Amino acid sequence: MNLVDRYVASIRRNLPGDRAEDIAAELRDLLASRIEDREAALDRPLNGDETKAVLRDFGHPLVVAARYRKQQWLIGPDVFPFYLSVLRIVLAILALVFVVVAAVNLLFHGDHLLRALAGALGGLWMSALINVANVTIVFVILERMGFPADHLRKWDPGQLADVKDKQPGPWESAIEVALGIAFLLWWTGLVHLPFGAGGPSFRIEPAPIFTQLYWPILTLVAARLVHSLIQGLRPRWWRLRMLVGAATAVGGIALLALIYRAGRWAIVVPNGMPADKAAELQNSLNLSLSIAIVVIAIVWSVQCLLGFYRLWRRGRFQPIPA
Amino acid sequence: MVSEDNLFEKLRVELRRGSLVLAVLAALREERYGYTLRNILEEAGLPIEEGALYPLLRRLEAQGLLTSEWREEGRSKRFYRLSTDGAAILARLHAEWAAIGASLDRLLTKDAKP
Repeated sequence: MNLVDRYVASIRRNLPGDRAEDIAAELRDLLASRIEDREAALDRPLNGDETKAVLRDFGHPLVVAARYRKQQWLIGPDVFPFYLSVLRIVLAILALVFVVVAAVNLLFHGDHLLRALAGALGGLWMSALINVANVTIVFVILERMGFPADHLRKWDPGQLADVKDKQPGPWESAIEVALGIAFLLWWTGLVHLPFGAGGPSFRIEPAPIFTQLYWPILTLVAARLVHSLIQGLRPRWWRLRMLVGAATAVGGIALLALIYRAGRWAIVVPNGMPADKAAELQNSLNLSLSIAIVVIAIVWSVQCLLGFYRLWRRGRFQPIPA
Repeated sequence: MVSEDNLFEKLRVELRRGSLVLAVLAALREERYGYTLRNILEEAGLPIEEGALYPLLRRLEAQGLLTSEWREEGRSKRFYRLSTDGAAILARLHAEWAAIGASLDRLLTKDAKP
């Protein structure tokens, strides 16, 4: 088999199956014509290097074959901005998870800082690879299905957020949605955390108040999820957004009050640890949690009041958009 | 940093790429063999890589703008020519090309004035 045959065979292997033979036959003939022309100009047969030069000039077999395919790219220029945006959000969420996992290992497992970071980084790397691959596959499929031609034709500029609206950007909304979904999956027992709370000689369990408030907490987080979805997808639905926001803020503060009244939020169960040490740890833990609950309640109250103030100011000073 | 020559070459290739379909359709108003077509385009000052031209011919044929047939001329050769739909599209593209040329001329002439 001569060099031209090997070249055409190499192209043929990567051609679309139904047209491969026909295209290969045409290429073989076109190359023969090109070589005949060169030979006629030189008045002698081409040597090996000259034939190689003709083939190199024609193009790399993979590139030539690819030009015969309908699909010239995995993710095209129209889909790429959406792909990049989703990828950034996914990677931002992963980075957040990385920080949380490292912090939990550091605080509850007594890891050294470097070991906690290294452990979380190992998991983060695999998660990043898998998530980037998944997002890429989804967008390759969307590219093949013609996305986003329909979306670009139909998107509604009226749904863009007001410039004066001091509301979270799409990233923040996306992270809130992701965290909300993650919390609901964990709260309902559909997924389990890859680590247990506690240490080698004890474990930490939630107090009964959380079992008693199972449904109110579930409802509140679900409502916050709806709020985040409206914020991210329909920022112009400000009335509904503010209504849900206000309801969840008030509900959240009420829930915090109920939780605070319980007086105990974490139980340390010794597993080899002396009972007095466990009681001491439990008291310290609950003291920290009581401070955290009060701080969260203050922050939520301030946010709630600011939200009501903005609502009042908007209604008073601005024409309400349709 | 891209040199001015490299940048010019990149922009020149982009500028010419848009005109190649028009050139191919125009050259195929009369039936031609793929290799001859490439030579004619080169002689007309529009050289095109062979690795790009022949897939383009197939794509235009799949779009119904060209027809083709194998014929024996020493050995089997594939000949292409403009289809009826291709002729209609060529007429529209030609008009568009003339309009673009006229618009650019106006802009460039205006910009050239002090």
